[in-house]
Parts: sequence; C-alpha cells; structure tokens
Amino acid sequence: MLLIISDPRDDSVRMVVRRLAERDVPFLWWDEAEFPERTVIGTRLSGEGWRQSLTHGGTTYDLAEVTAVWHRRPNPPSAPSVADPSQRAYAEQMARQMLQGVYELMPAERWMPARPKHLARVDNKLLHLRRAVELGFTVPDTVVGNDPGDLVPAWRRSGGRLISKALDFRPFFVDGEDHHVYTTKIERRDLAGRHRVRHCPVILQPNLAKAVELRVTVVGDRVFSAEIDSQSSRLTSQDWRHYEDLGVAYRPHPLPAEVEKRCLRLVDSLGLSYGAVDLILTPDGEYVFLELNVSGQWAFVELRAGLPIGDAIAGWLTEGRS
Amino acid sequence: MMTDVFGGDLASAVRLLRTLPRRRQDVGQAERRVRAWSAERPALAAELVVDEPPGTGQVGYDLLLAHPEGGTVAISAQTEDGVPWLVDHSTHWAAGQVVSVDGIGLSVPAALYALRALGARDRTVHEQLADYRILLSEIDGDKEPVGDAELREAMDDFRRRRGLFSRERTLRWLEEVGLPEDAFAGFMETTARMNRVRARFAGEPARAYLREHADELAHARAAWVTGRDRAVIEEIAGADTAAGLLDRAGRALEERPGRLRLTTAAGPASELPAPLRAAAPGRVVGPAESEDGLLAGVVLDRAAADPDDPAALAAAADAAYTAWLAGRRAAAAITWHWL
Repeated sequence: MLLIISDPRDDSVRMVVRRLAERDVPFLWWDEAEFPERTVIGTRLSGEGWRQSLTHGGTTYDLAEVTAVWHRRPNPPSAPSVADPSQRAYAEQMARQMLQGVYELMPAERWMPARPKHLARVDNKLLHLRRAVELGFTVPDTVVGNDPGDLVPAWRRSGGRLISKALDFRPFFVDGEDHHVYTTKIERRDLAGRHRVRHCPVILQPNLAKAVELRVTVVGDRVFSAEIDSQSSRLTSQDWRHYEDLGVAYRPHPLPAEVEKRCLRLVDSLGLSYGAVDLILTPDGEYVFLELNVSGQWAFVELRAGLPIGDAIAGWLTEGRS
Repeated sequence: MMTDVFGGDLASAVRLLRTLPRRRQDVGQAERRVRAWSAERPALAAELVVDEPPGTGQVGYDLLLAHPEGGTVAISAQTEDGVPWLVDHSTHWAAGQVVSVDGIGLSVPAALYALRALGARDRTVHEQLADYRILLSEIDGDKEPVGDAELREAMDDFRRRRGLFSRERTLRWLEEVGLPEDAFAGFMETTARMNRVRARFAGEPARAYLREHADELAHARAAWVTGRDRAVIEEIAGADTAAGLLDRAGRALEERPGRLRLTTAAGPASELPAPLRAAAPGRVVGPAESEDGLLAGVVLDRAAADPDDPAALAAAADAAYTAWLAGRRAAAAITWHWL
C-alpha cells in the first residue's frame, strides 16, 4: 500500500491518484490534520518488534505494509476538541512529536521527497546554495543575514538591481490579513528602511537579466525541465510564482547534459527523491542556480508545458512493488 | 542666516514627519498637522505626499519643502517600528485576486481574460474601466466641494439603478460587494464629481449636438427579433411589411420559446441595434449581424427630435457625452497591465 500525506484538496495529489487507480495500486490519502481528532494511531512494542497502525474512516492500516510514502503538503495535526488553547497547542505538539517518531519507525524505504525528519534537516536555502556551488552551478553573489550595513553595499555592487527574498516560506499577518514574501526588487528609496533588516535575516542577490526562467523538476532519476517566458509579462518578470498570468508561455526546455546532471546530483546528494530547481538562463546563455524547493509545485508544469511529471511520481512510488 | 533658519525648519520637519500617524484612516489627521505646521512657515510651501500601498493599512509619507536657494527638498523618514524588512516588503495573500469562491481565488488576469472571452457585447466592461480612469483624470483638478444636493443625487441614482430602496438593503449590498461604508461615501463623492463632467454637455452643447446629429437622435419606434438560428431569422426577415414581420415573429416565438428574443423600443435612433439605426420606416431589415446574434427587424416610424422637448435634449446631452468619452478613449494609450 502507498501512503500519501497531504491536504485533501491537493490537486497535485489528485493528478497522481488517477494514475495509481489506473495501475490498480492501493493507497491511502491522508492528512496529518486528521490526527488526533479523527484518526487513531498506535505504536506498540512487543516481543515480535514494533507494530504500528493507523485507523481512519473505519479502516485500520498496518503501517508495516506501506511500501512508499509521499509526504507532500499536509496540514499540521489538529485537536479542535480540546477547548483550552494552551492545552490544544500542547496536544497538537504531542501529535506532531508522535508522527515524527512513527515516520522514523516505519520500515518503508521509499519516501518522497524524504522522511520528514531528514527533510527538516536538509530543507535550508543556505545549504542548497552551498551545495549548488560545490556542484559547479553558477550562483549569484549572495548576502544572507540581518546586518543593515550590508544592504546599501549590496545594492551598490548590483548596480542598483538588487532583490530580497526569504529563507523560508511562512505566511504571517499584517493588520490581520495573510501576507506572503516573494522575491522583491529593492528600489532606491527602499534603502531608507535598512534598519528593518536588523529584525529578521534576509537573502540579498543581484537581479540578474533573464532570457527565460526554468523550473526543473527532479523525480528520482528523471529530470523535467520547463522554461517559463516570465519576461513577457510585467506581472511575472520579478517572480513568476507571484502572479498567475495565463499569457505567459511554458514549454519544455532541453537542458545541457551537464546542467541536467547537476540538478540530479543536487537533489540526490541531499538525500531527496524529489526537488524543484529554479534556474535562470541569462541572455548570454548561462544557466544560473536560484533555489531548490523540496516540495515545489509541479502540476502547473505538467499542465502548461505538457511534461508527464505525475506519471513519473506515480512510477517512482510504485517502483519495486511486486 | 537664511540657511540657519532652514536648518531649524528641517529639524522641525523631521520631528513632524517621524510623529505623523501611519495608519490609512489617520491620513486626514496627518494632513491637518502638516497644514498647521506649514501655516507657520509659508515660505517652505510644504506639501505632504502620501503613498498608500495596496494590501496594508500603513501609509508612507514624503514631505516636500522649498529650499531658500531654490529647488525642492524631499524628506522621508522610516521610524524604528520593529517591522522586519521582509514583512515590510510582503504581499497581501490576495494581491492579484479579484474574488475568491470557496476559498479559491480568481486572479485579475484570469478575470480579464474571462471578460474578454464572454463575447463582443461584454467588451463594454473593459471600456467602462477605461472610461472610469479617463473620468478620474478629468476630475483630478476639480477642487470645488461636492454639495449635499449633488451627493444625494449621485446616491439616489446609484441606489435606483440597483434597486437599493432602503438603508438596510444598501448596507447588505455593500457587505456583499465588500465595500466599507466610508469607502462608499468616497465613491459617491467621486461619482458626483463625474456627474459634473456629464453635466457639461447639457444646455447649449446638447442643442448643438442635436442640430449636428439630427438623424441619430431622431425619435424612432422599432421592433426586432434576435436569435442564433439563421433559417428562423431568414424566415422572419422574409416578411414584406412591419405587420408581417411581427406576425412571423409571434409564430416563431410560440414554436421556439427561449431561442428567440423579440424587442420593441422607442427612443433615439442611436440606441437601436446598428442595422436599424439608419433604416427607413416600414422596410424590413435582416438577417443582419448584431451584438445579440442575427437580427430581423423594422423601424415602425421615425420623427425628428424636437429641440424644445426636454427628453430629446437630455438624450442629446447623453449622446454628446458618450461621443466625447468614446473620442477620449480612442485617443488614449490604454495598457492592460494584467493581460
């Protein structure tokens, strides 16, 4: 059996589940938010070893029978029945801790992108940048930190074409409304807010000229490369993930063999079975590494560039099954 | 000496700028404080420039001052408010979304594509947006306060067109479209100023337009049928007379309810479907392409507009205003940023 751990509305999972059904592969699509409210998980040590089970929707699953796990984008454990907020937070923290342990004890060897504990260790933009440099990628001059004194020199070095971005994706509130951080161009007058850098580390990089942007999706040992003509739209020219623009073309992009190999090695060397690598191709024809997204979205690449990534994921999850 | 005084003013301006309230709803208070400060230093010609970035309740300010030796000095000040850089440069989750349905957003580009894809008739939505921008520019220099009567007229007209006949229904409608009450009041003030633009075409300009466009403003009565089925429209258009057309249309409607639309109208010829506008009375027109599909129709009668008839003059003023707006739109450089 396959275990898919993600939000029940996850369209990417839906695309893969269809393929699994075609292959007649049994699976459970489950979200961590179900635990502990609607899911019972038990781990028992006896003379025969560890036995772990998950009961959900009236069915009990033996977690030893899980051959592969796709840990995609679950919602965190949720205990809404616990009335007191601090007690609820406590219960949810215990549930998170329990899941970490359960995942570590599960015998399944195939995890996509990786076991959560390992993923937490390697999902770090600084680590990715260093690894990319080690593998021979061209990486933009990068400053990361919370020193306000770094801002103006970086802006000057970039010739006034500097961007800032975050180390991690995490929503927060401004005036009670959800806000997100995308790659943002730093204008001259923004420098007057340099003291704000002190409060929270930030990534500063020159805003390189782009011919096209590339989303390279690695699934196991397969590589799917799509070019995004982000420069054709004012909306997407800075960060194509920021705005949807149906007019921006996506198409397959054959990578030079060495760049493709580097993408594979980057993902593999971090102990991952999946990774979405963002590159840019400069007008001079140079491939530049921007970042690696360990759970990056791929459905739009499949739909708009026609690359069969869902098939590859279904294939990887079912590989080696008898 | 002059520079020393300016140095003191500058220090005072920085203190003022650093203590101005930064909440969007407090901009009026900030402007009043700057006006009071400026009144004591008229030579500085101080002006407060307000930046209201979307998706946040915070605003930014620049204070512009005239330098004693000529030129302008701009001061901006960001206080230490403990807001991290990334938060300050973050984006509201719904930036770029027009609406969310069941928690799933519809982006501005998708919405505009959808509007464009809805058909030729709905091109007017795009035109209306462009017209609104043109009118905003037109009223930009209008500093004349909006009177109560103008505001009431704008509000009554707005409510009448949407069937909002009670305060309760109006409030419910505002909630449905997500418009706060004070924003609605501001919107109505803008509408009242736009109505002033429209009012420029009343009176003599309307008479002049009526003289120059007598044909299109002639009062016409007409009947027409529209539909997608060419054979049916051809059959109706095969009638020799107005009575024959109405008779055939009546039969077709009985046989194909929902597939055809019969319209009768009386008013300025310019408001008729394009194939009928210049048609001679009694002559059956069609099948002809129209905004609502194929058309078969007839102008029943047509009379020159009476320049002393208030209704005819109002129609002429409307037509003159619409023509002016169309001319402005045609001459404007319109860029759809999200398409």
